[in-house]
Amino acid sequence: MTDIVFPALSTQRPDAEGVVTRWFVADGERVTTGQLVGEVQVDKVDAEVDAPADGVLRQVVAVDGVARQGEVIGRVDVA
Amino acid sequence: MTTTQEPVAEQAHGTHRMTTAKAVAEGIATEMRRDPSVVYLGEDVGAYGGIFGATGGLLDEFGPSRIIDTPISETAFIGLGIGAAVEGMRPIVEVMFTDFMGVCLDQIYNHMAKIHYESGGNVSVPMVVTMAAGGGYSDAEQHSQCLWGTLAHLPGMKVVVPSNPYDAKGLMISAIRDDGPVVYVFHKGVMGLAWMARNDRAVGDVPDEAYTVPIGKAAVCREGKDVTLVTISRSVHHALDVAERLADEDVSVEVIDLRSLVPLDRPAILASVAKTGRLVVVDEDYQSFGMSGEVVATVTDVDPHLLHAPALRVANPDTPVAYARTLEQAILPMPDRIEAAVRRVLAT
Repeated sequence: MTDIVFPALSTQRPDAEGVVTRWFVADGERVTTGQLVGEVQVDKVDAEVDAPADGVLRQVVAVDGVARQGEVIGRVDVA
Repeated sequence: MTTTQEPVAEQAHGTHRMTTAKAVAEGIATEMRRDPSVVYLGEDVGAYGGIFGATGGLLDEFGPSRIIDTPISETAFIGLGIGAAVEGMRPIVEVMFTDFMGVCLDQIYNHMAKIHYESGGNVSVPMVVTMAAGGGYSDAEQHSQCLWGTLAHLPGMKVVVPSNPYDAKGLMISAIRDDGPVVYVFHKGVMGLAWMARNDRAVGDVPDEAYTVPIGKAAVCREGKDVTLVTISRSVHHALDVAERLADEDVSVEVIDLRSLVPLDRPAILASVAKTGRLVVVDEDYQSFGMSGEVVATVTDVDPHLLHAPALRVANPDTPVAYARTLEQAILPMPDRIEAAVRRVLAT
């Protein structure tokens, strides 16, 4: 199991909160390393989230859910 | 734990879901990998990734000699692109907003669009100019215009305006490979930007490999038999929303996404109107002297009797796009106005 963490977008505010704006892959779908799986946003800056491993994607924070930078927003269950 | 013969469900790869912005960037990257003569230049296209995300990640892969941040001097960098193109490169040059094409229009329509003619066909200008267009997010009169009708009015350049991720990538690749100048207009509202109102039609499945969407070919994105809605770009999304809503009342709306304005797919318009006998044109550009009139004339030039009711146009009235939210929403061709027009043309 590999965690997907909210990427650090604000260096000045390491504990800044952001929003998970989109999951491109449904919960339970297979993903491959490096595949674009989601998108997050802090203020008006957004960033892509790639799969850190091959496996099955599990969404932990749903779309529009709030999370702090570095917080786990999903994971990849490695089969 | 025993491992049984569990087949590894190898997902049919080959497509990925992504936003239109990502699909644009992928189309550019695909061609840059294939063809070293392709470069991208403009304001904030490098480290920033384009203010609407069209060049996200490209600087990392291709470096600053091919993803080139320019000063705010549109005349100079459009001219730079033209020079590079006539010497054999395939530059993509970004004018951040269609609203500001005015500051460099001489380069665009007196040079880029005319050199091929002026040289008796001996010199080609294989160049793409990209521009962001459209309103709906309170960016007021200087950042909300479409102006694709103005571009399409000036001869010598193709004009493409994708509405979804698949077309965005395929039209970008076609535009880069085209041997003449192509203006590639993307509406900010179709890009799938996280800071704009969520739009699920801005996300879709896109093949991983390079593919082309032909320039000058419309798409029938929803088939119907009672009325034809001809439109482009962000308004395609509204038209589809309206068509879905009216389907509950057994009204069958055909939606045509023109995808290109130049060349205009007139046969597609005629074929659909010949079938339905009713036409509504939706355009987020100014109404007069633009796309909406051209689409109606496409029908009446050939056979006015194809229309069983007068054609209707739903476009921006001939006034700047207001900043005030309520005024802006009244000016733009939003779903309520489209639906009212469809009902009216059906009642006639």
